[in-house]
Amino acid sequence: MEKAVEGLIVLGGIGFILSIILSFLSEKFKVEENPLVEKILKILPQINCGACGFSGCEEFARRVIEEKKPYTCIPGGEEVNKKIAQILGLKAEKIEAKKAVIRCGAKKEEKKVSFYYWGPSSCVAANILGGNIDCLYGCLGFGDCIEVCPQKAIFFDGARVKIDIKKCIGCGRCVEVCPRNLISLVPYKEEVWFVACNNKDKGVETKKVCKSGCIGCGICARLKESPFFIKDNLSFIDYERTDNKEALFEAKNRCPVSCIIRDD
Amino acid sequence: MKDLIVIFISTVLINNFVLTYFLGICPFLGVSRRISSALGMGGAVIFVMTLSASISWLIYHYILLRFNLTFLEYVVFILVIASLVQIVEMFIRKFSPTLFKALGIYLPLITTNCAILGCALFMVARNYNFLESVIFGFSAGLGFSLVLLVMAGIREELNFCDIPQVFRSAPITLITAGILALCFMGFSGILSF
Repeated sequence: MEKAVEGLIVLGGIGFILSIILSFLSEKFKVEENPLVEKILKILPQINCGACGFSGCEEFARRVIEEKKPYTCIPGGEEVNKKIAQILGLKAEKIEAKKAVIRCGAKKEEKKVSFYYWGPSSCVAANILGGNIDCLYGCLGFGDCIEVCPQKAIFFDGARVKIDIKKCIGCGRCVEVCPRNLISLVPYKEEVWFVACNNKDKGVETKKVCKSGCIGCGICARLKESPFFIKDNLSFIDYERTDNKEALFEAKNRCPVSCIIRDD
Repeated sequence: MKDLIVIFISTVLINNFVLTYFLGICPFLGVSRRISSALGMGGAVIFVMTLSASISWLIYHYILLRFNLTFLEYVVFILVIASLVQIVEMFIRKFSPTLFKALGIYLPLITTNCAILGCALFMVARNYNFLESVIFGFSAGLGFSLVLLVMAGIREELNFCDIPQVFRSAPITLITAGILALCFMGFSGILSF
């Protein structure tokens, strides 16, 4: 019994001394968390997409407060950025909403299969072997982008991989993952316009592998005040000049392979 | 003096805690992903080990032995180690939040790290005097950090290697650890004591 009391005293004494030291040090090394971080974090979409260039929404909030710079949260859109700027007393930079588009419009049955691919079901893997379709530029359709999308906005609609413009937040993760660089972010003003082809070969070659590929005929570029231009046998849109809606619609109607796409 | 050198070299290289005694494997595998965090972890472990060995020695010899309370040794050692880890955690959190984030759960896990309790128990079992235990604690921590650092360096390089799919992440790490242990076996027999 005596031993137990002694043990109790010794153990209690050591514990007591250590706890005093700890409580003293915890006062001294106190870390003060800025209450603004929590406030901004509540406004942010909290999907940790990484489009802002930081490792997550928390890091974004911390850096915005520390550096007093209006970094933009792309998926948050105008509203979120305005609110953040208000809290910090800064002016929000005007941001342009961007959406991702897949620049390949070929349907699954249209794509000519060049060999039977039996590897891992991933575009990156298939692309290492050169891709299993004849078109060297087109969508392989294994859906690496579908997996990476934080909003589940990309889906396979039975014919081709598509992006749901309404759900897309423009974070750009799919842009990085596509081994054929088919996905790009384009300006969004109630609608997006893009040329759904990436084949840079000459028209004849393109025709051989795909019915709906851009042949670089230049009909769209020759229209009056047309925002289209031809480069590498491929039509592109100059997004600085897309105010003229008529030219866009006319180009869409006159495109012989109908690869100019409007989506809203 | 000669004894101290023998203790130092034998603990750092020959009887390395991680690769020969297999103590403290969990941070060895968990924090060895990057050199910077491995360095931080190594520093923390050296600090905790040295201090815990010396404080444990003082408590063991001046309190537990005097009052014949040696049956309390595990509890007391754990108490000392836990408090030291708590101090280190507060310190790192205050002065390096990035390191704090990188170490994550492995920092509080030092509390129950078998290498550190093992160090205190070895010290008692081998009847070291005070100076010897301090050197022993320090060199055990140093040996741990050394191995951790080597492992982190290898793993950083492994990121650039074309590893077969089945061996990626955990398997290749364990294989590397095994080969490292094999290498450290080469030190055995350098000193005989």
